[in-house]
Amino acid sequence: MTVSLVLRFAARDWRAGELRLLLAALLLAVGAVSAISLFVDRLQRALIAESTTFLGADRTIDSSRAIPDRFRELAAGEGLATVDIISFPSMVSAASAEASQLASVKAVEAGYPLRGILRIAEEPFGDSEFTDALPALGEVWMDSRLFPALGLAVGDRVSVGYAEFTVSGVLAAEPDRGGSFFDFAPRLLMRAEDVPATRVIQPGSRISYRLQLAGDDEALGALYRSIEGELRPNYRWRNIRDANARIGRALERAESFLLLGGLLAVLLAGIAVALGANRYARRHFDHVAVLKTLGATPQEIQWGYTGVLLVVGIVGALLGLVLGALVHLGIIAAIGSYLPIELPMPGPRPVFVGLITGFICLLAFALPPLLGLRGISPMRVIRRDLGAGVGPAVTYGFAAAGSLGLLIWYSGSFFLTFWALLGAVVAGGVFATLALLLLRGGRVLGMQAGSTWRLALAGLQRRYRENVAQIMIFGIAIMLLLIMLLVRTALIDEWRAQIPERTPNHFLMNVSPDDARGVQDLLTSRTDYEDQLFPMIRGRITLVNDVGVREWRRQHRRDYYGGGERGERDDDDDDDDDGDRGGGGGPGGGGERNLTFSANLPDKNVVVDGEWWTDDADQALVSIEDDYAASRGLSVGDVLTFDVGGVPFTATVSNLRRVEWDSLQPNFFIILSPGALEGFPATYMTSFYLTPEQKPFLNELLSNYPTITVIEVDNIIAQVRSIIDRVSQAVELVLFLVLGAGILVLIASIQSSRDLRLKEHALLRALGGTRRLISGALVSEFAILGAFAGIVAVVGAEITVYALNSRVFELGTDLHPQLWVAGPLFGMLVIAAVGYLGTRKLVHSPPATVLREV
Amino acid sequence: MSASILRASALVKRVPTAEGELTILDDIHLSIDSGAQIAVVGESGSGKTTLLGILAGLDLPTSGEVWLDGEQITSMDEEQRARVRARSVGFVFQSFQLIDSLTALENVMLPLELRGDGQAKDDALEYLDRVGLAERTTHYPRQLSGGEQQRVAIARAFASRPRVLFADEPTGNLDTATGGRVADLLFDLNREAGTTLVLVTHDAALASRCGDVITLEAGRMRAPAPEPRVAAT
Repeated sequence: MTVSLVLRFAARDWRAGELRLLLAALLLAVGAVSAISLFVDRLQRALIAESTTFLGADRTIDSSRAIPDRFRELAAGEGLATVDIISFPSMVSAASAEASQLASVKAVEAGYPLRGILRIAEEPFGDSEFTDALPALGEVWMDSRLFPALGLAVGDRVSVGYAEFTVSGVLAAEPDRGGSFFDFAPRLLMRAEDVPATRVIQPGSRISYRLQLAGDDEALGALYRSIEGELRPNYRWRNIRDANARIGRALERAESFLLLGGLLAVLLAGIAVALGANRYARRHFDHVAVLKTLGATPQEIQWGYTGVLLVVGIVGALLGLVLGALVHLGIIAAIGSYLPIELPMPGPRPVFVGLITGFICLLAFALPPLLGLRGISPMRVIRRDLGAGVGPAVTYGFAAAGSLGLLIWYSGSFFLTFWALLGAVVAGGVFATLALLLLRGGRVLGMQAGSTWRLALAGLQRRYRENVAQIMIFGIAIMLLLIMLLVRTALIDEWRAQIPERTPNHFLMNVSPDDARGVQDLLTSRTDYEDQLFPMIRGRITLVNDVGVREWRRQHRRDYYGGGERGERDDDDDDDDDGDRGGGGGPGGGGERNLTFSANLPDKNVVVDGEWWTDDADQALVSIEDDYAASRGLSVGDVLTFDVGGVPFTATVSNLRRVEWDSLQPNFFIILSPGALEGFPATYMTSFYLTPEQKPFLNELLSNYPTITVIEVDNIIAQVRSIIDRVSQAVELVLFLVLGAGILVLIASIQSSRDLRLKEHALLRALGGTRRLISGALVSEFAILGAFAGIVAVVGAEITVYALNSRVFELGTDLHPQLWVAGPLFGMLVIAAVGYLGTRKLVHSPPATVLREV
Repeated sequence: MSASILRASALVKRVPTAEGELTILDDIHLSIDSGAQIAVVGESGSGKTTLLGILAGLDLPTSGEVWLDGEQITSMDEEQRARVRARSVGFVFQSFQLIDSLTALENVMLPLELRGDGQAKDDALEYLDRVGLAERTTHYPRQLSGGEQQRVAIARAFASRPRVLFADEPTGNLDTATGGRVADLLFDLNREAGTTLVLVTHDAALASRCGDVITLEAGRMRAPAPEPRVAAT
């Protein structure tokens, strides 16, 4: 067959309406996939861009040593932007007065921050606005709280080490604050060029060096590969996921979810394509038989129809891409006002994904039924019962292979694919059995029903093979929609729950025992504060069961690291852990930790081993965070010797606690029973929530109690929350796209069974059945199918969601009783409605016309 | 014998059924000369249609051989038989077998297009004119009456200028008057083109218009009468 003949055939089939369903299915397949891919691609780029502001860069290299020039040169060679940052604690003082305060100094090069923005204010705790400037040479910007502490105003002079600077601004927010959440000391921002004049960098100073990197992923990857071997143990390569575990997890789950959405859309579209192709092939059995009597060879038939399919594929894929682009623009237009981030242009991948998906769909789902046409016997022109195309084994084999290929390629994850496929196989078996049982049960019920229902049930029973298949298809479509809905709800609930409203957004530290009562009263009277102030005492563990603590750790290290296969973990890492976790733990310099005592188990702490103490405990007891205990080989019953300010005392480990480090409450590794720390000098700390309007209260607090330290984390919390909100919106949008694909499957499936049903009902009408009876029977039939499919879908969804939530998203999961009603009801209503709309026209045509057409 | 265009020897067709093997055709021998008009008659179930299918290369016998236009088609595969059909065979069926989605003109063009005939449209128009449907070329089968549909089918059959035309109950779905006109058309065109006609029918009047008649009884040929252009070999 020549190309022009194939084109002519395709054009005639199109004119006859034979290709519309197939093309529509393909259009939607490519459209849905490319719309999701385009949107996800752009959103991911935007989210990553937004999230990288947490690092102030795409990646950073952190160290306590100076970053080698070689790293900088290699980065420049890859075309990456770099900025050096040096941070160190230093006492800063007002040049004109005696007041001084420990500050966390950050010296940056021009170009900082590579990602994100700085915000400055004109006066302490005042309204802030963003800036792309940095302090000029010889100038510094300081946190609000340094101003009252030092008694300074903007424009005054401040000393850092041996140098003096002009305070030219109030630093309100810096993007990479999140990385070092609990830098206790307030920030002073200066230029790296000014550091030598301060002479603070001496051998033994506690200096952190950071090289910020920004550029495309490929260049970053290349740089990582070329310096990978030199990083450990002194340099740490960090990305957003390391920098903020909470956002990292949200992003990962969102990606998984969007991926799952795309995957389900592909599967649904595949089913629609298969249904469209099947109908097309069935309607061409006679056509092919005639062509064969006219001398068309099997090979010509095969290539001819493959050619038609190719034409449909090309047209469908191109139009699908246009549709996908329009849909994704529509989505962006619709929610533009909710998406305050600028979406970057998409890369080429979504287009590629859309096209390839279209062709794989055609190959796996549409080709087998068409290949079956090759084998149609020309004798069919004389005997219509001959020739039924390819066997189900070939069709299902191709479809399974195609799905597998698509899933692996699309998800890039064998794990997700494995679960999806296992779900499909189990669902297939369960669905078929269930559908059969439901149909059998339906017949018994139908005996007692009115004529409309009896007719409907009789029809369902008569074509039980087709109907089991249809229930499965409806069921799978509804199931996939339910899965999306359930997982989405679980995900978003969990995200929102992580940072509930009124999460404490300010920390208060260094409160002296004399001020503790006054501070507590002030907080209680001016805010909604209801918590307690925790005492904090610096101390260290020196002995464990009378063994030196280093020796004890060496003995127990092997156990914790599974026989030492992971190798040695250096002490630096432990310190990093402490710093990142923050809370009351604080930096663990020199083995000193913040100890506290409490009569009650703090909120969001759970005892996992041993028991919390009672008020009448007669000996000193200690409670240890469980990871901390595990890494140091501590267990309940061990006797620890502490050293606080040179005074030793002992306490027995009475319990191990699990602590929710993300809770933004004061959290402690070590809590002692109330009597144990009596007489030792303590300072107090707490956390509390302030609305933006309440922020000026900080001025009052700090002027009443100038020695206390306030740490503001409200900006960080707002940042985290806005990212989570955006991810949630994306997740909901994808749900709608999958819904669209699901409805197409329903339409395709109803279309494909339409001919058979209508022929039967046209005959009934010819025999005197009223239009009302026939319409009623058709709608009832679809409603029953829909309800059965709903039942089947709910069973499948509950099982799959359980697996997905527990294995992929690491969420808790329960049964969803409301679904057991909603699922069948939804299936019944939607399928009856779509079925009625799809067949209404023909039911209202004269039976003779229907009989001739189908 | 040298002018024989269609020859069959020892044809047997058996099909498996639930009750065991069923013999549909048994030991059929025949030879048809080029240009002859042969009717195959017999009661329903006598094997007429099966014989037509095998002679035309649509189906294969269980045993025996068929030569069509000088080639032994029973040893060919479907691919090769299709080529023989494209070159030498035309069909007219009881149920017309027009393609619903194509216009009358496109239906007639179809065999010509399959052969790669550059003049397909002109030839098809000419044949539609000859069957009296020049005005209905853009009509779809469902817009045509039964008689008109069969005339389109006849135009399609002759348009490819076959050596042998197989007609399976060509008037079976038509009323007597229409059937008569369709039969006239069939025989006229056949005579003009010098095509060999193999006509399966149970209509005695139609059969009588053919030069020779083969009668099938329960899958076997009854002794031919009259002689001689169909001969048991």
